[in-house]
Amino acid sequence: MRRRRPRGGALVAALATLAFSAALGAALADLARTELRLGAERRLASRLLGALDACVADVAGALPAGWDFAALVTGPDGTPGTADDGALTAPADCTAIARAAPGGPAPDRVVVRVEARVGAARRHLDALVRRAPEPGAGGLLWLSAPPEAGAIGGTAAIDGGDSDAPLASLAAPGDPDALDAWIAGEGAHLDVSPATLAPVAGPAPPLDDLRSRVQAVPYAGTEALVASGAPAAVVAYVAGDLDVADARVGAGLLFVDGRLDVGGTLAFQGVIVATGGLHVASGAGLTLDGGLWLGVGSPALAIEGALVLRRSPGAVAAADALLPLPRRAVVAGTRDVG
Amino acid sequence: MTLAELLVGTVLGLAVLAVLTSAVAVAGRMLIAAGARAEGEDTAQLAMEAFRFDVRRAGWDPAAAGHAALVDARADGLALAADLDGDGRIATDSEESVAWRCVTASRRLSRIVGLQSMPLADHAVGCAFRYLDRDGAAVAAPVAAADLPRVRAVELSLRLLPPGLSHPASRFLLAALRAAP
Repeated sequence: MRRRRPRGGALVAALATLAFSAALGAALADLARTELRLGAERRLASRLLGALDACVADVAGALPAGWDFAALVTGPDGTPGTADDGALTAPADCTAIARAAPGGPAPDRVVVRVEARVGAARRHLDALVRRAPEPGAGGLLWLSAPPEAGAIGGTAAIDGGDSDAPLASLAAPGDPDALDAWIAGEGAHLDVSPATLAPVAGPAPPLDDLRSRVQAVPYAGTEALVASGAPAAVVAYVAGDLDVADARVGAGLLFVDGRLDVGGTLAFQGVIVATGGLHVASGAGLTLDGGLWLGVGSPALAIEGALVLRRSPGAVAAADALLPLPRRAVVAGTRDVG
Repeated sequence: MTLAELLVGTVLGLAVLAVLTSAVAVAGRMLIAAGARAEGEDTAQLAMEAFRFDVRRAGWDPAAAGHAALVDARADGLALAADLDGDGRIATDSEESVAWRCVTASRRLSRIVGLQSMPLADHAVGCAFRYLDRDGAAVAAPVAAADLPRVRAVELSLRLLPPGLSHPASRFLLAALRAAP
């Protein structure tokens, strides 16, 4: 009887199964690799977008407060058409260049092209930067340097206003955490209303430019501070220190080109600027509805009596109508370029 | 070889073959499911990325013509504007005018660029927009025209359930409007 030879069917089946399994495994591996690569790309894109946003915020926050951006566009040499046009100081791994915005000249604004780098990857964004609608740097108290600890030996009450449009208690160059710590460190001497926003880091007030502008318009002197009644809002300029020894009221813009020393009581509606700082003596009081902008004094802020500082958009707007006041730079829009 | 040996061998062979076939079938189904899952997740993610870039640039107005970022705001859609070429106008037939729509009837999320509708995601079992004000409080949709400037952030939540998946691919994105009101 003739024996049939084995045909190797099992081997064929095993090989076919192996081949099919290998194909499935390869497909799965390819899928996983594709997803891993997509995930890495998305992480990188998110990091780049975050770096761009941080760069724009840092660059805009570091821009000096002022009235326009002409100096930014022409660069440090002040001459248009040169290599330094629009060059801005930017953090590491980031560059920023300002250029004039299209359209009409008003309101003053610039387009800042920002490039952020993460490793070898880079991304660009255009940011539209303009001046803030409200004068100042976003704080009721605008200082040229962080305040010193223990500046308030008496009492100070700061009210940022209604919840619809509150202001920060304090704006000054420096680390916002340090400003927070100063607020906390003043303890019971400083009463900040709940509606008031936390301190913000910002540029120093441009007091030299503001002085020039004040001196370029008709201004009053100390007679603008009257003993009683409803004072007219005016621009007042005082060369040197100003001592207020009795009861005075005033309104508008008071520019003290020196130290403001309150030994009596002063009630003011508008903006008070004191390039040499503020001292409120024990038993004295300053009540200000508007803004208080101080230069570098020794110290810039010394409150032994009582300071009441309240938000008053109307009073600040009235002062701004008398003489346009400086404003901080804010980002008004962005556009991802690629 | 006896008949018994042949039967035992056949049974063993069939059993092994059945196990192998089942394993391969399971692996095949896993591959299909993984592919569908990956496609669903990628589609949802791509929709979110497109939405993020649209919101980031909304209100771009370098010519200071006064264009609003958010033109229309509803629970099932919104419309954004940006003067991308800086000519002071919003060309409604271009990428300067972008709308997003959740079409519940067809379970589709569409991005309408100018006058052209571009389906972004099908099999959308959940798709909704939400609007927040400066304090993070919700602004009721549809948002009245007078309240549009109050909206400072927009949220899109999306759930896609392509065929073959038991659980949806879910994403939500909250993006702040960059343009100052």
